Amino acid sequence: MNKYNPPRMNPSSLRSRFATRFLRSLSEINAQKPTASSSSPTEIFRRYRRIKVAADKSMAYSVRSRRTWSRAMLWKLRTRPCGRRSVKTSTIVRKTRHEKQNKNTTTATTTGEDGVVSGVEADELRELVPGGEAMDLYNLLDETAHYIKCLTTQVQVMKKIADFYSP
Amino acid sequence: MQPCSREMQAMNSLLNPTLQDQQIQTPPLDHPTSSHDDFLEQMLSTLPSCSWSDLKSPWDPPKSDETDNNVGFHYDEILASKLRHHQINGGDGGGSSPAAAAMKIMMQQQMMLTMGVSTGATGSHHQNDVVDCSSFKSLNQQGGEGSNSMQALFNGFSAGSLHETNQSHHFHHPQTPNFGATARTVMNQSQASGSTTPAPAQPKQRVRARRGQATDPHSIAERLRRERIAERMKALQELVPNANKTDKASMLDEIIDYVKFLQLQVKVLSMSRLGGAAAVAPLVAEGGGGRVQTTANGGGSSGGNQTSGNNDSVAVTEHQVAKLMEEDMGSAMQYLQGKGLCLMPISLATAISTSTCHSRNPMMKGALLQSNGEGPSSPSMSVLTVQSATPTMGNGGL
Repeated sequence: MNKYNPPRMNPSSLRSRFATRFLRSLSEINAQKPTASSSSPTEIFRRYRRIKVAADKSMAYSVRSRRTWSRAMLWKLRTRPCGRRSVKTSTIVRKTRHEKQNKNTTTATTTGEDGVVSGVEADELRELVPGGEAMDLYNLLDETAHYIKCLTTQVQVMKKIADFYSP
Repeated sequence: MQPCSREMQAMNSLLNPTLQDQQIQTPPLDHPTSSHDDFLEQMLSTLPSCSWSDLKSPWDPPKSDETDNNVGFHYDEILASKLRHHQINGGDGGGSSPAAAAMKIMMQQQMMLTMGVSTGATGSHHQNDVVDCSSFKSLNQQGGEGSNSMQALFNGFSAGSLHETNQSHHFHHPQTPNFGATARTVMNQSQASGSTTPAPAQPKQRVRARRGQATDPHSIAERLRRERIAERMKALQELVPNANKTDKASMLDEIIDYVKFLQLQVKVLSMSRLGGAAAVAPLVAEGGGGRVQTTANGGGSSGGNQTSGNNDSVAVTEHQVAKLMEEDMGSAMQYLQGKGLCLMPISLATAISTSTCHSRNPMMKGALLQSNGEGPSSPSMSVLTVQSATPTMGNGGL
């Protein structure tokens, strides 16, 4: 069915790292899939959540902790399955750590708006990009660029996997 | 560096008495042979001709030609720094003296940079060229034609780096952050010191960076910040499709929509893994000229590809959509949009599918799969599965 040869790719590129990790986690999920009750909406939803979490986690692990958004995502994924265990203190810790990281990068005291970008859109971007709440605009844009790149990788790989396995 | 310090002392002694006087007319120059002091005098004699406030004579470009390149290089740098030091001091006079002090420190810093890597690295030369070019540019606004000669002098001074001035403007932009950062820190220091006295003749002098008309650190910092943000926006523009918008606000909107779209795509794709790569959700097209709706995913080109392998989930979604359509078209649309799908008439769907009929090829973007008669409903309905594809699909993208 597939005459499609994958191109020779750099084994340490983001794409290959993500693909390896994601495929591994997918096979794990498939291994534990129950044969019955696949069509009940709750089961489907749970499976969907598991796959999505696996995808996000694979992507975040591929990026390691080099980026703020990957760190934030990893932290979020780590605390989420365990419920509300000490979320508040962790949030505070995370925020201070973020602020400390970004303090030496913020150069000047902002006077509110810099005439280039409105604050509303920046806040919306902050919501979208994980870990973007405590960042100033400059770093936020940087993180967004990397996040977009990683998201496109993720989508491409997942799409290829889906196409590969579809009948 | 013994000769260096000696020279500096000599220079300092010469500088101090002359600082108050801006109109120094020195005797004609004596070309030195090997004596550093003579060279010093020669340098200093031409100092006042370049004072910003009062231009006497055109600046004679490099005296470094007469000296030994190896030895004279270091001295040249120091002297150049002293020159500018004097320039600025003379030029400003009683004016913005913190600016002068900061400028001195700045110059000295870049001198240290050059001296530190005088043997090999060309990067510092770039920096020096750039920084000096920029500072010269700023000084130019005050001084006039003296800056060009100063620039020429400095270019001549950097031994072996004359060819690099061509590349200086390439580095101007990336260097401005460093320049600005140093300038800012420098300004703070100078303001704290607030000295009108000439800075001591040490290699660690702080020179203030003059950037155009604004010496206010806040506005300079603001400008730098804006430049950096503009850089980032340009980089983002390349990543995001439909980036032909020049307005920054709309560009941000575009970026936000694209991020939302990508996240939605990930969700949709992860849903497609369920049940052995079943279809995400079918698109139900009304027979005979329904309405056309653009895809919900902003910015992306429409028409992905997803096979409908599992009839059950397809039927479920079909029923759902049909039910919603009975009550309210808007909610049906929203339901479909939530799944990343759109509604289109059959005629349009057939047109699209015939134009891009390679649905199996995973490299293809914008392919549609049409399966007639699979759905349990009326034969006039056709089931389409549409997924928005990323416009940047490709192999070597990353």
